[in-house]
Amino acid sequence: MKTRIFSLAGIAVLLALCIAAPQMLDAYSLGVALQLLSWIALTQSWVTFSGLTGYVSLGHAVFYGLGAYVMALLWQSAPLWEILLGSGFAGALLALVIGYPALRVSGPYFVILTLGLSEFFKYIVIAVEAGLESSGRLIFGAPDPETLYYIMLLLAVVATLLTWGLARSRWGAGLRAIREDETAAETLGVPVTFLKIAAFVISAFIPGVVGAVWVLRTTYFEPMQLFSPTTSFTIVTMAIIGGSDRAPGPIFGAAFIVLLSELLWARAPHVYLVILGVLLVSFVLFVPKGISGQLAWLMRRRRA
Amino acid sequence: MSFLRVENLTRRFGGIVALHDVSFSMEKGEILGLMGANGAGKTTLFSLIAGNLPPSSGHILLEDEKIDGRGPHRVNRLGVARTFQIVRPFATMSVLDNVMVGALYGRSRTLSQPKAREKCRAILDEVGLADRADLPAAALTLAGRKRLEVARALATEPRLLLLDEVLAGLNASEANDALDLIRHLRDSRMLSIIVIEHVMKALMRLSHRILVLHDGRKIMEGAPAEVANDPRVIKAYLGETRDA
Repeated sequence: MKTRIFSLAGIAVLLALCIAAPQMLDAYSLGVALQLLSWIALTQSWVTFSGLTGYVSLGHAVFYGLGAYVMALLWQSAPLWEILLGSGFAGALLALVIGYPALRVSGPYFVILTLGLSEFFKYIVIAVEAGLESSGRLIFGAPDPETLYYIMLLLAVVATLLTWGLARSRWGAGLRAIREDETAAETLGVPVTFLKIAAFVISAFIPGVVGAVWVLRTTYFEPMQLFSPTTSFTIVTMAIIGGSDRAPGPIFGAAFIVLLSELLWARAPHVYLVILGVLLVSFVLFVPKGISGQLAWLMRRRRA
Repeated sequence: MSFLRVENLTRRFGGIVALHDVSFSMEKGEILGLMGANGAGKTTLFSLIAGNLPPSSGHILLEDEKIDGRGPHRVNRLGVARTFQIVRPFATMSVLDNVMVGALYGRSRTLSQPKAREKCRAILDEVGLADRADLPAAALTLAGRKRLEVARALATEPRLLLLDEVLAGLNASEANDALDLIRHLRDSRMLSIIVIEHVMKALMRLSHRILVLHDGRKIMEGAPAEVANDPRVIKAYLGETRDA
């Protein structure tokens, strides 16, 4: 009970800080904060699917890129929030189309398939853009960084609540059962195909909106960059380091990596990726439940 | 009307016929023993009834409703639950959460989590795992995991329970407890149970009727005493005698 009050108070303080941040931060720091929030939203959405089901998606960049593309195409032809929702639905719809065939395979085949499909889609967009004789789209009159920050904050909160709620729900129990043993799960009445596709579709909505907000921030759409598989890799890295079975995980993971890259990019750009690689391997080997899992374990031990 | 009717069931794996034209039926509340050497097709029969495998031909009817070819989760919702010979616990989940999956999704479809939790604690108590409810399933011994298989299946509220070698690997006193448990389950829930078991003595004592499979074919069906003395069964188990 005491820990519960503590964590509720902690969440309230954190949220208040996030809301007050644009008044306190300079432009550069606000940019970093915006980036942090976007990674939290992306990683949370990945965890709602991959963390719970164990189907590791290396294709979440495609939903992010698609959302950005929808925004770049529709900007100023409809109200902002309508395009944002449209971007989310575009991601979800693509997940529905990809999900049905892709979720028939599992393990390494699913990982490769999502990566392949995401690259495939990237080159389709590049081909379409080339056919339209467009080489990148500039976005004029984008909202100011403060507005984007609040939209992103909302997304991060929604994504976190989604992971939190799903992880505790009846669906969460079914998805975890699928992760542990799919055959046993379906024999106990879990509708595995439906649940997997539903989780995949839900999980693709948020990245679609995040991509749309992000392209407003950079004010430039370029497919190579926005569909870059690096986005997917970073999401997975953050989830592994933070922990992928509960809602605090992505927050820790995203904060850790964003801070690390802020500290190291400027000072030691050459060793940044090396350190990231070493960290990733160490976490997989020694802290498989991530920072959040380790903290939960320590807290249980102190209470016991 | 029989409770379960299996009609001319055949299952091929490529060129191998794992189950050949098997028919039988059973009544509500009956315990049917399934006997046969390794590779006789016992587990294949379970997989077909539970919907884990579609039959190559033939039909399975539960209270006159066709259940073959529906897929395991739908078959489970109609009231068929099975355990696995090679146990399949959700290893990182707690024992209680393992059982919860059955209660939340199976035929019982207990949508409220507190209710499901209460129900599952009662079931864990019945199978003797109550003191280990909050441990991860991976921490259970083999005997514990076999019980967990049974508990999960029960949580779905089945009408027909398929038990695949739940006694294997248990010592004599554990096996006795397990037999008592199976009888108790049948009596308390009017369950129909099909049991695969290699421990002959146990199977003889437990079953109302026994069905013998050999090389994928049904070679006989009858009361335990009849089966034990049947020359075809003895032949299938012990091989041809020289002076026969």
